[in-house]
Amino acid sequence: MFLVLYSRGWSDLNSMPRLEKIEYKPIPVRELLLEMKNLSELMIDLAYSAALFNDKELAEDVLELENRVDTLAYLLEMEILIAARDVEDAEALTGVSGVASAADKISDAAADIAGIVMQNIGVHPIVSKVFEKVEERLMRTKVSEGSILVGKEIGELDLAARMGVDIIAIRRNKDWIIDPKETEQIKLSDILIARGAPSGVKEFKELAEGKLKKLED
Amino acid sequence: MSMQIRKQFEEIVERFVELKNTSELMIDLAYSSLLLNNKELAEEVQRLEEYMDKLHTEFELLVLSSSFKKEEAKGFLGLIRLGVVTEKIADAAAEIAEVVLRGIEPHPVLKLTIEEAEETVTYANVAESSPLVNKTLRDARIPEETGMWVLAIRRGDKCIRPKPESKIQAGDVLIASGYAEGEEDLKKLASP
Repeated sequence: MFLVLYSRGWSDLNSMPRLEKIEYKPIPVRELLLEMKNLSELMIDLAYSAALFNDKELAEDVLELENRVDTLAYLLEMEILIAARDVEDAEALTGVSGVASAADKISDAAADIAGIVMQNIGVHPIVSKVFEKVEERLMRTKVSEGSILVGKEIGELDLAARMGVDIIAIRRNKDWIIDPKETEQIKLSDILIARGAPSGVKEFKELAEGKLKKLED
Repeated sequence: MSMQIRKQFEEIVERFVELKNTSELMIDLAYSSLLLNNKELAEEVQRLEEYMDKLHTEFELLVLSSSFKKEEAKGFLGLIRLGVVTEKIADAAAEIAEVVLRGIEPHPVLKLTIEEAEETVTYANVAESSPLVNKTLRDARIPEETGMWVLAIRRGDKCIRPKPESKIQAGDVLIASGYAEGEEDLKKLASP
């Protein structure tokens, strides 16, 4: 018996409002788990960056992602409930239920980190400074009108070679594109999350904001 | 700020960075172990969980034994709380790994979580003579050359989360996943 053969309505998830009843949608378990994996990693990454660089905008993104992971965990639980018909099923499925609860814990942890930022508990400025030396930072920027990035594919920008920057996620309206492909086209008003050395990240931000008009070789 | 205090700060932050990176790697490996139904990866996660406990204790002791002034101490409260959260993340990742170690039953719903194609996880030792030595992962182009994707780099008792700028060293163990055909290519590249 295969419960799920297609993933209709997958993108509907994106427009799901906060704390509303979550309706069952047939999504393959594998797809749910993959999405949960990607979102959890991004969320934790963003959360640490938000805390270490005291960045409230990033913290807000984290809280939004938390909501999405929680939704996915609910959907996973629903798949399990539907699939269990007898004792054997129940035995086999408790493991997946454990995954759903662990995923929930991870997203709660990320939200806790975002909370540290929101409550202004703060991290000593020197921590950010030292951190910047040993680790690459994440940066969030919005693609503005007049930016030369608009309409370009990520691959043709060759950011890694040019300035040591990688785009790790794109937020487009309510959608999150994680680990975007080389062929993904950058659109006006996209929120780009990039990782890289401080100088490269700064240059990239200027490109996105339209302040810098030329890609240097 | 005196040089000595600055050094203390730096050491604390470096410790924290390791906690952070290890917790992130654990999430990655835990989910990978589940998606590939691979017990070795799950064991790696469990091992890292113990390592995290040790790291976290060392981190807390280091913070506690530093003599901060009142204003400085406030700036470190956030870092202490972050440390506690990394521990939570590590615990959750270990729970996912536990599911894999208990054994996933071939239930139809779960079957969907296991790769249909024969994807494997492989361990490759990097020899002194390997062309990979001293190259960054970006320059090494391992996925292009072998079709294998590096999940983690084991170096001594540390496990490093691979980033494009991570440098490969002789003696590293590359933990990678991909289709079985790539396994030999990767091993040859790592130990020619």
